[in-house]
Amino acid sequence: MMKMRELINCVVPENLDEYRDVFVYIEHSDGHIKKSTLEMLGEGKKLAKKTDEKLVGVAVGEELTPIAKEAEEYGCDIFLGTESPDLKDFASVPYTNYLAEMIEDYKPNIFLMSGTREGRDLVSRIAIRVMTGVAADCIELDIVENTKILSAWRPSFGDKTIDQILCRKHRPQTITSRPGSYKVAEKQPGNKCDIKIKKVTVPEAMKKRKILSFRPKDRLDLTSAKKIVSGGLGLGKPEGFELIRNLADELNAEVGASRPVVDLGWIPYEHQVGQTGQTVRAKLYIAAGISGKIQHTVGMINSENIVSINNDPEAEIAKVSDYFIKADLYDAIPKIIEEVQKYKNGKAVVGESPEKAA
Amino acid sequence: MVLDIIVMIKQVPDAEEIFIDPVKFTLNRSQARGVINPADENALEAALMIKDKTPAKITVITMGPPAAESALLECMGRGADRGILITDRAFAAADTYATSLTLAAAVKKIGRFDLILAGESTTDSGTGHVGPGVAEFMQADQVTYSTSVKIEGDTIIAERELEHGIEVVQTPMPALVTMLINANIPRRSSLRRRIDAMRKGIETMDHESLGLPPEWVGIKGSPTIVGSLKIPEEKKRLNKTITLEEIPEMVKELIENKAIVLGDDEDA
Repeated sequence: MMKMRELINCVVPENLDEYRDVFVYIEHSDGHIKKSTLEMLGEGKKLAKKTDEKLVGVAVGEELTPIAKEAEEYGCDIFLGTESPDLKDFASVPYTNYLAEMIEDYKPNIFLMSGTREGRDLVSRIAIRVMTGVAADCIELDIVENTKILSAWRPSFGDKTIDQILCRKHRPQTITSRPGSYKVAEKQPGNKCDIKIKKVTVPEAMKKRKILSFRPKDRLDLTSAKKIVSGGLGLGKPEGFELIRNLADELNAEVGASRPVVDLGWIPYEHQVGQTGQTVRAKLYIAAGISGKIQHTVGMINSENIVSINNDPEAEIAKVSDYFIKADLYDAIPKIIEEVQKYKNGKAVVGESPEKAA
Repeated sequence: MVLDIIVMIKQVPDAEEIFIDPVKFTLNRSQARGVINPADENALEAALMIKDKTPAKITVITMGPPAAESALLECMGRGADRGILITDRAFAAADTYATSLTLAAAVKKIGRFDLILAGESTTDSGTGHVGPGVAEFMQADQVTYSTSVKIEGDTIIAERELEHGIEVVQTPMPALVTMLINANIPRRSSLRRRIDAMRKGIETMDHESLGLPPEWVGIKGSPTIVGSLKIPEEKKRLNKTITLEEIPEMVKELIENKAIVLGDDEDA
C-alpha cells in the first residue's frame, strides 16, 4: 500500500489576522549566515517595518547559537532554531518537517527564502505541508498599501513582463527570491534578539537518507558574474575559445557561450547563456560570433553594457548591442586586448583622447 | 521484481521557434512547436538507462492540453511503456500547488511506484516546485538537481549538483528525483516503437476520474494569482556600429562607464 498524505486542496485558514511577522529562512554554512540569506534579512526588515511586524530568523542545524548571534547583528527581533546533531547536513524531509512545525506554531504572515538550490528544494514541500502558495524567483517585494498583503514580483518567461504574484487568502505568504537581486542587510549594532533554540531528537524514519560523499567543485555561476565574454559559432573552431578566454582574463571576466557551440561540445554546458542555459545580468557582456537568436538574447538582454562582434552586418545581435563591432572577431578581440593593456600599463589614461594615448 | 517508474513531463514551446513580434516587440510563442521540456527529456533518459539494466515499467504522465499527446507518443517511441495525458479545461491556469495536487492524484490512481523522475524545472515557468510538491504529497524523499541516478537494492544512489560541490546521496525507494538539464544525452525514438505507441494509444484522465472536485484544481484550486503585470522598461541601447579603428574609443568609453575596471578590486 502506498503511503501518502491526504490529497487535499489548499484550505483557507479561518482567521488570517492570527498570522503575523516576517519569517526569513536562514541558510548557513561553517557557522555563518550565507550571503543570499543576508539579502533576505535586509528585505525582510524592510517589509516588517511597513507592516509594523517583527523580523524572525528561522534555522535548522547542528549548532545554531553562532547563527542566532549573527541574526541578531543583522536585525532579527526573534530567532527560532531547531537543533540536533542529526540535522548537521541538509536533507529535504527532516528540514521540511521542522520548518513546517515552526511555521505552524508561530503562524507568520510572510515567509521569505532565498532561491538557492537548498531554498528551492525546500520551499514547495513546506508550502504544501502548511497549505499555502509560493511565488518563485521574485526580484522585487513590497506590501500592498494599507494591507498586510505581500506584493511579489517575478519575471515571466524571457523577462518580457514582470508579474505581480498575490497570495491573498493563504498564510504564510511564501516566496523565493532570485539571489543577487537585493542589497545585503546592514548590521544593526545594539539590536536585541529573542533567541529560542529547541533541541530535538530526529526520529529514525527521517534519518534514512545518507550522504555518501561530497566533492567540492564550484559551479560556474554566470548569474552573478559582473563581466562575461561569450563565444558562438562565429569562432569557427573549438580552439577559438582560447581567444575568448584571453579577453576574459584581460577583463577579469567569465567565459560564456551560445547553445550551438555547447551542443557541438566546444565548451561545457555550464558556460551556456540563454533560455536553456543561465540568465545573466552582467555589467559588461561581450558576444563574439553570436548571431543573436532570441534563445540567446533572453539570457543576456538585462546586461548593462552589451558589445557584440560579428562580420555579418545583418546579425540580429546588433539590435540589442550598445557597440556592434562589424569586423572579424579574430581581428577585433586582439585589438580590444591591446587597448585594455595600454591602460593597464599606464600608456593610456582615462580622460585623455585615445589617439593621444596610442 | 519489476520496478515501477513514473516520469513526469511537460510540453513547452520550442525555444528555437520563439520570436519577437516585429511590431509589438513582445515574445510570440503561439507559432512555436510544442516540444518536451528539455530537463524532462533527461528525466526520461535516466529512467530508460535504469530500464536498460533492471526490469522496469515506465509510465510517462503529463498535465496539459490534448496536443500534449504528441510528447507522450515521443516518450513511448523512446522506450516508455505507457503514456497518460491528464487533461481537462478545469486544470487551466493551475499554480504549483494545484498542479502538484493533480499530478499526485494521478500517481495515486496509477496505484504504485518505486521511483518518480521529473525535470528539475521547465523552460517556460521554471519554478522547480512541482517535483518536490508531488514528493510531499506522496510522503517520499526527494533528490533534486541530480545528474545521475542508479538503483541499488531497494534504494537509489543519485548525484546532486550543488552550488559548491557534488553530493552523492542514497535514499530508500519510493523516492522522487529531479534531473538537471543536460544530465545525459537523450536517445532518439525508434520508428517501430512509435508505431507501436500509436497503436497502443495513450490513456487520459480528468478531474472526475482523478476524484478531484473542480474547485480543487486549475485556477480555483490555486492559492496564488497574478495580480497585475508590468513591462520592464527596455534599456535604451547606444546601437553604435563601429569598425576596428573605433575600438580604442569604445574601450575608453567602457572604462569611463566602469564597465571595464582596471585592477581587480571591484568584486571584493
